[in-house]
Amino acid sequence: MTSAPVETDDELLLRMQSGDEEAFLTLYRRRQAGLFRFALHMSGSMPVAEDVTQEVFLALLREDCGFDPDRGTLSGYLFGIARKLVLRHLERGRSHVALDTDSDDYAQPELAVLDDPLLDLTRREGIDALRRAVQALPRRYREVVVLCDLEEVDYADAAVALGCPIGTVRSRLHRARGLLLEKLHQERNPRQALGTLKPVRCVS
Amino acid sequence: MNCQEFWSTIPELGDCEGHRHLLECPACAARMNRHRELEAGFRAVAAGLRRVEAPPRVEARLRSAFRRQTGSETIASSRRWIPVATWAAAFAAMFALAAFLVRERQPAAVVPPVQRTIELAMLQPQADYEGFIPLPNAAGLVADEDDVNLVRVEVPRSAMIALGLRLQRHRARRAFLELAVWPEKEELRCVSQLLP
Ligand SMILES: [Zn+2]
Repeated sequence: MTSAPVETDDELLLRMQSGDEEAFLTLYRRRQAGLFRFALHMSGSMPVAEDVTQEVFLALLREDCGFDPDRGTLSGYLFGIARKLVLRHLERGRSHVALDTDSDDYAQPELAVLDDPLLDLTRREGIDALRRAVQALPRRYREVVVLCDLEEVDYADAAVALGCPIGTVRSRLHRARGLLLEKLHQERNPRQALGTLKPVRCVS
Repeated sequence: MNCQEFWSTIPELGDCEGHRHLLECPACAARMNRHRELEAGFRAVAAGLRRVEAPPRVEARLRSAFRRQTGSETIASSRRWIPVATWAAAFAAMFALAAFLVRERQPAAVVPPVQRTIELAMLQPQADYEGFIPLPNAAGLVADEDDVNLVRVEVPRSAMIALGLRLQRHRARRAFLELAVWPEKEELRCVSQLLP
């Protein structure tokens, strides 16, 4: 005997819009944790993450929620709403993570040749350092790392959520990882890192 | 291939295992190792947060909001709801007919205490909404009939879907059906619909 196929998000959404509460709750239970963690990483605040998660699904309940399946998956769309809500919180300055530069030119990663080993990032100390480093990333790098590297959202969905082309997702991710490596290197070697604090612009 | 070309051409870290450039270039090999360590770190961070999720009160609040929105405090929610709703609509029509035929009596007495789902289809015998659109195959059906009664019932959107009636996407959560009832022939047809 085979088990029933899992309903897609779109199928659940359609049933939900027909007034089916169970479909709504199934959708909520399937998607809430990722959205909550995304908001938590982005804001550094549990109450904000809770607020954002709730608001995302309240937005979905609205008849004019604006989801268009032709433009991407529901998951990407929900992350997109969550992102906008988080940004609103950050702009109000009620969150624990400071706003930072939005420029893609913020830094040039991979500047330093990092010869010595990183902390072991799979052990407690290393995990904490990595979390701090992610939190300290400029917002537009932080969001792409949280989506793609921590929540394992695929690039296409991340592009929907961030409202940018997939190529931009890839390049930001690349830069973000470079920034993280640099940050972790600095943490490990504070003195040596002094020389690499000022990013050098490369003219290509 | 130089270092820059290597880094600009590899699409994903996982795809470059044993790449010739990595075998030839210790600097890039070291850098690649850092990226792999970073990936392992991401997995460790994610694993540590796997159980972090919204507190249960969020679900409770959303459930309430959903019920307020759909006006479905009494809805028995389950996957069987759609076919049941179809029957609910049909039952409702029959009750409407009964109410229509015996309208001298108390209408409330006509609605029997059957399944809760029947409450979904609210009887609207006096609904005077404008804009009912005749169904394509029902045009002219009741034009000159003398012995036909028209009954309007409110049904949830899911019942409309289950009945195979066209609905605009993302729109009305309920709809009205106009039913033509021929008491003599014990026949009932849906002749027009209204999506508010
Ligand atoms: Zn190289």
